[in-house]
Amino acid sequence: MNENAGPEARRGADGYLLRAEGITKIYSDGTVALKKATLEIHSHEIIGLLGENGAGKTTLTKILSGLLPPTHGRVVSPRGPVRFANPREALDFGIGMVHQHFALVGTFTTTENVALSHEKPFSLIRLAKTRERLEALMEESGLRVPLDVPVEKLAVGEQQRVEILKVLSRDVRLLILDEPTSVLTPLEVDELFALLRKLKEKGTSVILITHKLKEVQSITDRIVVLRRGEMVGDVRTAEATTERLAQLMVGKTLEGEPTAFELSAEQLPRALSASRKKEFSGEGILHVVDLVARGNTGEVTVNGVTFDVHGGEIFGIAGVEGNGQSELVECLTGLRVPVSGSATIRGTNILGKDPRQIYRLGVAHVPEDRWRLGLVLPFTLAENAILGVHRWEEFQGPFGILRRGKVYQHVRQLMDRFDIQATGPNAPAKSLSGGNQQKLIVGRELAKDPAIVVASQPTRGLDIGAAKYIRDLLIEMRDNGRAILLVSADLDEVLALADQLAIMYEGRFMTSCRPDTLNREQIGMLMGGVACKEVA
Amino acid sequence: MTENPARESRLLRGVHRTVTGLHPALESVVAAIVGLLIGAVLMYIWGFDPWKAYWALLRGAYGGSYEWASSLARGTPLILTALTFSICVRAGMFNIGAEGQMMIGAMAAVCVALFKAPVGLHLVIGLVFAAVAGALWSVVPAILKVSRGVSEVISTIMFNWIGRWLALYLAIYVIVDPMRAEKTLTVPVTARFPILVRGTDLSASIFLAVGVALVMYFLLWHTTLGYEVRAAGLNPTAARYGGIRSKRTMIVSFLLGGVTAGLAGATIAMGLPPSYAIFGGGGLPELTNLGFDGMAVAMVGRNHPIGILVAGVFFGGLNAGGRVMQFYGSNPVPLEMIRVVMGAIVLAMAIPELIRLFPAIKRQGDKLFAALRRGRDPRSKEGSA
Repeated sequence: MNENAGPEARRGADGYLLRAEGITKIYSDGTVALKKATLEIHSHEIIGLLGENGAGKTTLTKILSGLLPPTHGRVVSPRGPVRFANPREALDFGIGMVHQHFALVGTFTTTENVALSHEKPFSLIRLAKTRERLEALMEESGLRVPLDVPVEKLAVGEQQRVEILKVLSRDVRLLILDEPTSVLTPLEVDELFALLRKLKEKGTSVILITHKLKEVQSITDRIVVLRRGEMVGDVRTAEATTERLAQLMVGKTLEGEPTAFELSAEQLPRALSASRKKEFSGEGILHVVDLVARGNTGEVTVNGVTFDVHGGEIFGIAGVEGNGQSELVECLTGLRVPVSGSATIRGTNILGKDPRQIYRLGVAHVPEDRWRLGLVLPFTLAENAILGVHRWEEFQGPFGILRRGKVYQHVRQLMDRFDIQATGPNAPAKSLSGGNQQKLIVGRELAKDPAIVVASQPTRGLDIGAAKYIRDLLIEMRDNGRAILLVSADLDEVLALADQLAIMYEGRFMTSCRPDTLNREQIGMLMGGVACKEVA
Repeated sequence: MTENPARESRLLRGVHRTVTGLHPALESVVAAIVGLLIGAVLMYIWGFDPWKAYWALLRGAYGGSYEWASSLARGTPLILTALTFSICVRAGMFNIGAEGQMMIGAMAAVCVALFKAPVGLHLVIGLVFAAVAGALWSVVPAILKVSRGVSEVISTIMFNWIGRWLALYLAIYVIVDPMRAEKTLTVPVTARFPILVRGTDLSASIFLAVGVALVMYFLLWHTTLGYEVRAAGLNPTAARYGGIRSKRTMIVSFLLGGVTAGLAGATIAMGLPPSYAIFGGGGLPELTNLGFDGMAVAMVGRNHPIGILVAGVFFGGLNAGGRVMQFYGSNPVPLEMIRVVMGAIVLAMAIPELIRLFPAIKRQGDKLFAALRRGRDPRSKEGSA
């Protein structure tokens, strides 16, 4: 520390910038997102926060940047405890976060967007001054963005730079980036990393949230690993091996030490005993070749995926969310038109068909977002129970008249068979608990008597009982000879259920094999984008 | 079918509870009362006696069979244009175009004067003309929306103006009465709705309005088409997931809306004595604002066909009674006051929606309320420590 009279952070007695002490976060729905996390951030440092979905990475950084208050614990600066009521206070203190989803006004130029972020109510907008400041900042940091173009005309990578400029223009000492590379091309990633190194030299600390092992190893000084809300590792990057990080990220299997995987396997005795060892004799049902699809912003999210799903088999797709799983499922269920490739169900092409035609071929779809896709929340239970099958002869009489008697009969059967707790068939779907809503969706889909069930995050947000019930249903369908495509960010779930496992990373399958042929360390590396061959 | 569970279905299906927690029908009643109160305050300020005025209004609207008849007659076209608006709301869109569609429909109905046909058939032909014309006028904005993403709010408003001036042109130059240049041809007796109560405006067109409302109710809640329209309106992404083609439901709901608006025009041209014609010279006075008032009726009727029937009778009563209020001896309240009351009702209807739109306001209010209660109750936190 030979620079003198720097910002207050440099003067800290033991040289830290900020320290999170024993942070616990319990959300209002009872989810424990963080358990006693402690993190010390020094100046001149790039920290990688590594972990799976739901590990608590984002929660921790949201607490640091004032977006969420911690349930327990505190954030301490060398001058004493700090408490941010909102992100603005955190920014004033010198902590800025760039989120995965940008907060930019599309029709405003870069200058205007930055000026907007500086404004307090009723203050004047000083565009010229902001512009001057930005030009100086770009000169200093080497970060180049067109200043007078509406940001909606900029590429995603440039928009991200606008977000970073927005934060840097507030003289932050700690820059937090949430999965910044997920939207960037490899070249843009290099540029971003060059910028981060430069910032580090200038004294700004960076926290980089990521699940990509290679990236975290190439840029950071220190890697902090979170797993299920707990801080399981804090290692210097130079000393960390890929294997060690992968192990930390997904949990290791040591003799005698019960792991999350074994716990969930315990809850699923049938899963392991039933037909794990059985050879698949079912017919091939879903056949996908070289599927390529683009995401909502036009980037390639599914990049040449090939696989088969047979009857009597659960094909599990694991991977950190946002690696193309959603787009893959949407292509297979008629919600997205792919760029190229082919997909057939029992030999009939399904690509580009609309969902109704695909359901006719025997596809059931348990969607990942039950509120957005799975249910019409203000509709009653009865009305939701026929969504997607409402035009089937069973429910539609002559002249398109709904056979209400049949509909009510159907919903009563579903309620009995799938144990849906509700006041009656006329209860609005939004009055149901999450577990019962999901049972309604799963019940509706399984009642279609499908050849293949595409289940996307089927147990997300459910309590243990409801989750187990739904997993059991999937196993039951499998044992009845149906094909099941299970996509889940919950690795333990996929490992416990799948007969065949694929791990998706940046739109590709890193591997496709029997789950028992991989150990958890290898799985962790594959999820982080490191192929087994590179390691071996 | 002894244990037919369909009996559990209630009459007012599809009426969702709003933020106030009141039943929506009750909420509409409260809004109507608030609107009348605001009107009363204004009358008081301008030196009228609100009690006398409202008494005159009530008697003029529902005081006897003649009054009931003219209230129902005024409610008839409003019910139809309200259905136009509400079916599109159910499909998730704002169709402001009832006004233009209704005017075009009225002109099409007048065209029956150009040929002869037997009684009854002549009327039906006129209704078909009006329905088709309304639907055609309505489907253009729908196609623009589906194919080019044009906001239906903008395009229907513009189509209202085109429709209005086209109707005026037709009334003045094309289907004009050669003897009297200020009005269109007179709809012949064979194509008129029969008058139900002698000496009043009430014609059989009321049965058409009620019938169409009941058909709409059946369509929305008892057919797969209505199911799809409502699903697409409430959650477009879930509808897509459910194999519903939203473009189709958009076009269909606009077509249906155009049909009802066209019929509303027909009820004026073919069912409003004594002229049975449209006055182009006065700038279409019989038609003007029927489409916009229908939107108010739809709001108060909660976009539900049965609610719209009730609200239509209420608004018809306001219109009919307002005219009486105007002439009531010592206390002549201008007719415009009734329009103020209508506006106030619509605003009062919007208040619960506003609360829903700004949950932050409600949260702040709750917080304040909680703080006040804590202040009053000292046991809350310190006591337990």
